[in-house]
Amino acid sequence: MKGQLLSFPSSTEGRLAQIHGTPLLLLDCQRLRQQYRALAQALPGVDLHYALKALPEQAVVNTLAPLGAGFDIASSGELDLLRQAHVKPRRVIHSHPVKKSREISEALRFGCTSFVFDNRVELEKFQRYRHRIGLVLRIGFRSPSASVDLSRKFGCSLGEVPNLLRQAHDLGLRVKGLAFHVGSQCATPDAHVHAIRETLRLVRELKASGMARIGLLDIGGGFPVDYGGGVPDIAGFCAPIRAALAEAPAHLRLIAEPGRVLVAPAVRGLFSVVGCARREGRPWYYLDDGVYGSFSGRVFEGARYRLRSLRQGPLTASVLAGPTCDSIDVIAEGVMLPELQVGDLLVADMLGTYSAASATNFNSLPKTPLLPLDDAKENSVVL
Amino acid sequence: MSRFVETLYDSYGQEFEFDEIYFERKTDHQQLTIFHNPVFGRVMVLDGVVQTTERDEFIYHEMLAHVPILAHGGVTSVLVVGGGDGAIIREITRHQAIRQITQVEIDATVIEMSRQHLPNHSAGAFDDPRLEIVIGDGLEFLQGQGERYDLIICDSTDPIGPGESLFDHAFYSAVHSRLARGGVFVAQNGVPFHQLDELQSTYRHLSGLFGDACFYSAAVPSYIGGIMAFAWASDDPGLRKLSEASLRERYRAAALACRYYNPAIHLASFSLPEYLLQALQEG
Repeated sequence: MKGQLLSFPSSTEGRLAQIHGTPLLLLDCQRLRQQYRALAQALPGVDLHYALKALPEQAVVNTLAPLGAGFDIASSGELDLLRQAHVKPRRVIHSHPVKKSREISEALRFGCTSFVFDNRVELEKFQRYRHRIGLVLRIGFRSPSASVDLSRKFGCSLGEVPNLLRQAHDLGLRVKGLAFHVGSQCATPDAHVHAIRETLRLVRELKASGMARIGLLDIGGGFPVDYGGGVPDIAGFCAPIRAALAEAPAHLRLIAEPGRVLVAPAVRGLFSVVGCARREGRPWYYLDDGVYGSFSGRVFEGARYRLRSLRQGPLTASVLAGPTCDSIDVIAEGVMLPELQVGDLLVADMLGTYSAASATNFNSLPKTPLLPLDDAKENSVVL
Repeated sequence: MSRFVETLYDSYGQEFEFDEIYFERKTDHQQLTIFHNPVFGRVMVLDGVVQTTERDEFIYHEMLAHVPILAHGGVTSVLVVGGGDGAIIREITRHQAIRQITQVEIDATVIEMSRQHLPNHSAGAFDDPRLEIVIGDGLEFLQGQGERYDLIICDSTDPIGPGESLFDHAFYSAVHSRLARGGVFVAQNGVPFHQLDELQSTYRHLSGLFGDACFYSAAVPSYIGGIMAFAWASDDPGLRKLSEASLRERYRAAALACRYYNPAIHLASFSLPEYLLQALQEG
């Protein structure tokens, strides 16, 4: 809706929408830095590897890399973002437990030599690279409190560990670390604490029995952000995790793979109303982005988005729908909104995670552009 | 002041301080970096792995060129696969008896950037009238129709990336078919202390195809981890049983002035340490 007269051009959002058009995602680089620093402070001694899949954008990498961040990659496609930002390969871990052999060589050619695995078949893919790499075995710990339980699809059981270590050893492969990923958006740190205790016990046992010398523990992600339901702040959530990690032997390198907690609060979206209707007594507003685009988290993780209008007026329970022809393209129902008109602007906060990253181009709609805003840099857009 | 950390191995490695970067970009085939280090001079890196440095390249290139040329004694045509930095061509062109050199390099950018940023490597050899450069895949070139060569040199990267096809049976078999009678094949084959699999695999392929297959070695400081192995294959086992006196005669006749190579080193370089001999036997 570029160029069209918007209802509230005097607001910051209105000005940006007028200049750049909608739909538009805004990345607040300063907020991203704050999130990174807050987590780094809450987990001293833990190297943070940003999970690129949450929002694989160059501006995110460029903002995090100078802070000393590492990166967790899930595919070769993410390597170019790291190359552009001159990320040191030693700071990168390939954390997808199942991949094509070609993905291994592509990551190696970038210089990443740390790879996660969780099964025997995967081990065989690594054999020809065995003198160049170090492996990290992912163990599954189910997390009842997570909004997305990541231990169903990936992670071996504790009981499988000895066999997998033996098989790795027989193939000439070095298992240097253990990893777990209890889930995404965890309500409590209980699952982390449990998994840390179990893996540290395992590290001690493996050392005592001479089965493996584990030098790395990857505690994954799952750090929650507040979508409105109320969650502990970063420091509060991490305090029990930090206490559990205090038991780790001094030689153990600790890493975490935060995604959501870093980027979710750093992105907001600007959308325009493109159509209005009244159906079954309720107002329906059609936006220029929907669940096939920036609101894809609605489908993939049941995300509930909070959208706000800049217009004043009596509020009515309304339905917000996306632009595609599909009937499931409904962003939110029962949203309390004033009466809107075509061209009105809506703002959605907390859009950084698994929104743009999992957007499709269904109906041949282009991907919503992301605009980095950085107060700390002169040559970028300043609010 | 910045540092480049080589990522050849996960748990061990070398790092270089650099005070200037001449080139850093992804070519059509690989990530190419050329920088300056106070100890090694200009350093070329492909896909995170050091390929050649100004300070120690003479060891590698003299051994890869002069050992087979002087052992053969009558080389007039040479095929080089890889070697885009130009130093192997430089060493070959020092032999006046060689009439024709063909170089097949897959990455034109490596040649261009080496001419520009590693000028001491080629030292003008790219302009030698005896040289013909083909930009293309080494395996495809060898499998095509064409003449046979007295000497085929494979100066490639390690077998991860564009060099991958230069380490398998199809390649060695094509090499064998394109060697003239009594010809010889040599190739860089990594640092066997760390890359024993590659040594064993090359040996299996070559010993099945050639009357004589073995390795010779030299220590090149920027290839960390000990001696580097050069693969050697020929149907004429006599080529590596020459006396030091006859090598000395050929060396004198060629009027070479080397910094690493000499006839005594030539003969000694074929003596391998026990752990490698055992690995080849078990391989």
